[in-house]
Amino acid sequence: MESKPRIGVYICHCGVNISATVDVEQVAEFAATLPNVVVSRDYLYMCSDPGQGLIQEDIETYDLNRVVVASCSPRMHEPTFQGAAQQAGMNPYLVEMANIREQCSWVHSDRERATEKAKWLVASVVAKAAELSPLEEREVDVTPGSVVVGGGVAGMAAALDVADAGFPVYLVEKSERLGGRLAELNRTFPTLEPVADLIGPLIERVQTHPAITLFLNAQVTNVEGYVGNFKVKVTGQEGERQVEVGSIIIATGYDLFDPQRKPELGYEYPNVITSLEMEQRLFDGDLAVNGREPQRVTFIQCVGSRDVQVGNPYCSRVCCMYTAKQASLVKDILPNADVTVLYMDVRTFGKGAEEFYDEARAKGVRYRKGNVSEIYRRGERVVLSGEDTLLGQPFDWETDLVVLAVGMESRADISELSTMLKLPRSADGFFLELHPKLRPVDTAVNGVFLAGCCQGPKDIPDTVAQAKAAASSALIPLLKGTVPVESATAVVDADLCAGCGMCVDVCPYGAPALDLLWGVSKINAVLCKGCGACATACPSKAINLQHFTPEQILAQVDALVG
Amino acid sequence: MKTQAMTEQLELYGCIQCGKCTGGCPVARKTTLNIRSLIYYMLVEPELKVDAHEELWDCTSCFTCVERCPKDVRPAELIIALRGQLVEGGRIPETIGAALMGTFRQGNPAGMAREDRSAWTDSREVKAAQDGCDLLYYIGCTPSYDIRAQPITRALARAFTVAGLDFGTLGIEESCCGNEIRRMGEEGLFEMLVEENGEMIRAVGASRMVTVSPHCFNTFKNEYGLDGIDVLHYTQLVAALIEQGKLELANEVNKRVTYHDPCFLGKQNRVYDEPRAILQAIPGVELIEMDRNRERSLCCEGGGGRMWAEGTNLEERLAFQRVQEAADTGAEILAVACPFCLLTLEDAVKVRGLEEQLRVMDIMELVNLSLGEE
Amino acid sequence: MADSFEPKIVAFLCNWCAYTGADLAGTSRIQYPPNVRIIRLMCSGSVDSTYVLKPLLDGADGVLIGGCHPGDCHYQSGNYKARRRVVALKEILKSAGYDEDRVWLRWISASEGQLFAQTVTEMTNAIKEKGPNPMRQKWAV
Repeated sequence: MESKPRIGVYICHCGVNISATVDVEQVAEFAATLPNVVVSRDYLYMCSDPGQGLIQEDIETYDLNRVVVASCSPRMHEPTFQGAAQQAGMNPYLVEMANIREQCSWVHSDRERATEKAKWLVASVVAKAAELSPLEEREVDVTPGSVVVGGGVAGMAAALDVADAGFPVYLVEKSERLGGRLAELNRTFPTLEPVADLIGPLIERVQTHPAITLFLNAQVTNVEGYVGNFKVKVTGQEGERQVEVGSIIIATGYDLFDPQRKPELGYEYPNVITSLEMEQRLFDGDLAVNGREPQRVTFIQCVGSRDVQVGNPYCSRVCCMYTAKQASLVKDILPNADVTVLYMDVRTFGKGAEEFYDEARAKGVRYRKGNVSEIYRRGERVVLSGEDTLLGQPFDWETDLVVLAVGMESRADISELSTMLKLPRSADGFFLELHPKLRPVDTAVNGVFLAGCCQGPKDIPDTVAQAKAAASSALIPLLKGTVPVESATAVVDADLCAGCGMCVDVCPYGAPALDLLWGVSKINAVLCKGCGACATACPSKAINLQHFTPEQILAQVDALVG
Repeated sequence: MKTQAMTEQLELYGCIQCGKCTGGCPVARKTTLNIRSLIYYMLVEPELKVDAHEELWDCTSCFTCVERCPKDVRPAELIIALRGQLVEGGRIPETIGAALMGTFRQGNPAGMAREDRSAWTDSREVKAAQDGCDLLYYIGCTPSYDIRAQPITRALARAFTVAGLDFGTLGIEESCCGNEIRRMGEEGLFEMLVEENGEMIRAVGASRMVTVSPHCFNTFKNEYGLDGIDVLHYTQLVAALIEQGKLELANEVNKRVTYHDPCFLGKQNRVYDEPRAILQAIPGVELIEMDRNRERSLCCEGGGGRMWAEGTNLEERLAFQRVQEAADTGAEILAVACPFCLLTLEDAVKVRGLEEQLRVMDIMELVNLSLGEE
Repeated sequence: MADSFEPKIVAFLCNWCAYTGADLAGTSRIQYPPNVRIIRLMCSGSVDSTYVLKPLLDGADGVLIGGCHPGDCHYQSGNYKARRRVVALKEILKSAGYDEDRVWLRWISASEGQLFAQTVTEMTNAIKEKGPNPMRQKWAV
């Protein structure tokens, strides 16, 4: 039934991401000389509409029955090109990708050697493509509903959107209350709205929503399954409960930087406090130090942010603005006090932010450029040692109250969830989104989405925006009702099978079973996840993992080594 | 001097001009030295007139700037490199020149005769490390020759003997470790010392070596590449000997003591706890902390070649400020663990007329008192 | 001659950890030598002995197998199966008088781009030290 392979090869420039290091024209010329290749092209952006159109046209014109795209990682765009081929009437499993960006152009600088490597990678994938077989696409029903982990503003916003769309939501919150970090804040920036006005109604809605089941003092302790059908174990004070859902939203938030890790900043002194402690003081309207009104209140920016010494090279994005807010509120309460902000750069992006910063200065908040190096005590006051970098003058500034603008870090226990769900983290410790620009709420795990500061520091508007984005992404499988399942499953050749049962022993999913009548193994395709353990273990080589058969792999080896 | 090559070599591009280096610099407050501004100059100007910066010799190599930099730029290394330019051109203070010459000729910056290097032993028998030993006791220049520092050296030898350690010294073959030499900008002489000393030290075959001075400790530990040899400062070793019960501190020393963290031991090598553990193990000692302790300790101004160069502001010495801080705690003894700190702070106590109130002593002198009569 | 020798290393990486780690090395722009050519598999547990032996017989200078860290396998236990198989395979290679250190098994998670680059660099250097696969010359005769 197999007709002779007719392969089209497409080398992507990815703008200059690939072509800057790899001579793409040369690779395309080389690919044209490979066996079974009918047409070979290079193009600026293969994933663009015209790029995909090119493939579709060629399938028609050249009667292609295989497509090889050499571009980014298949983890990025394989579904894109499979979809394009499918639209042109080709089975999507006849598309194969060569990864010449992440695994070639981005990691090598020698153009000649990178081009040579790209050729090998293309040859290897072309060899595999010739051996490909079409596979049947299968789908299973989705369990309607989502689990949302974390009951802060991100978790609540996401939960409400999913619930409002009519699906059950299980909201799991570790602490005894909803509201997360936001509930610990006094007012928002730049509008100075009381946080209570913002969060009160939100909590109320979550608590009373008929579609939301709330688990307080509870944690997710196990997750099994895949997109469409997750089994999530929730452990709380009332014991364990398993819920079944189609998607999961992670909204576990952040930790604040512990200033004790910068001992030179003197956090042990009672008049050196963190910005969160300042929020509490603003709540209470009490700024007194040693029972007296402070004459000087000084804010220090970037504590635990933009600091490689503590392993946090990133900007925490909110400290400049919350400091402007706190300084401004302090100036309102103590109009005669000296309120100074010591900073290295002021970053006020976002609606109304720069305007707020302007107002704070106009009100009398003093901004002095130069970050503090050291804090020590002098009598009841503390001395801040730093340099006014614009004057080029060191200063020893005595003050009554110091507020350390502590930054955000990933949760200390983030690795638990990361391990449980196999969610990768970026170098900064936060959860890693699938693509920084195009898939900012997706993760490497299909069906699991990110909302809020668990993905990186952000302010309230960005957190809520991301939560709503995560909710709409999490709704896609629920609304669609079905999800594709692994088509590349293992199959048994009954003629070769000796019925030894080795496959039954090695499979963690119980997919293979011995047919008692015929004495041979049969694999249940619904249970099979496509790992290939049985195929490798089979002593008679009677099992093949489709799409990764020995013929396909060894063809790749031949092309690479031969 | 063209700036670009040095800027690249020292990776100054990482600098974001936050000011934490100069902000924490103890000498920036009293002289025109501004390391942040120097880095900025290097970044934006193609040429630098190094000769015009006599304040380069004010730096004490305390490395507070390195410790504080949030971008892992090493500001103090720029000063060392710029001094290197001056050394190359022979445009250096006379006293620095003499120290370098002394080290080249006699193996010590004071230029004392090499034959007298073992004078500290006071004719006691000390094993030659060249004959093989478990522990190499590296003395260093000041602890060998300076009569104020020699009692520390002897006290340590005594403690090692009491603890039953198999230790030896290099005797008159020992040369300057080069820590200060490198920081004065004489990289060539430093490399020569590293090669010669390194060879001699490796030949001993000891698994551990111990130094009197945190300055020697720093360079052997971090700059010599003595793989397989555990380099210790004496406070680490002595704290361990006390902990293991090998040193019995029987006699009471009924004193209120405060401790000054040397920069090369504390900030640069994070040895903060061991010196305090020793002091607390001495019966009768009441340890009081100054407010500026550990990471915030104030430099005594004795490092970075400053034992051989006065710097540009003689009136306001950091040591004056430091002994006042110590006296303000009510302590009777200001304990140190570095011969340079001992000398600078003791001078300051005299100049400030605090002798009745405060005495500067090395930790080992206190340990020696507690060990009792020899 | 030894300086100009550029080893050819075939890598079998599991889709979920090591392959994703290699992608992360790319997105992080961490540079490493171009001597390793990657073949994507779903799981390190599906690396058949022939996948390792074939390239070595054909003249590849090394084979790298990358899987998830113990306890992290996407398929629960595939990496343990890989580990057992590689241990046995190395024994066989050794008994056949072949240098078994040309086969490396390493655990690299999806977030360890740096480790992947470091592994490739180390392996390339180690194989350079060893020189070309002797099998290559044998066949060339």
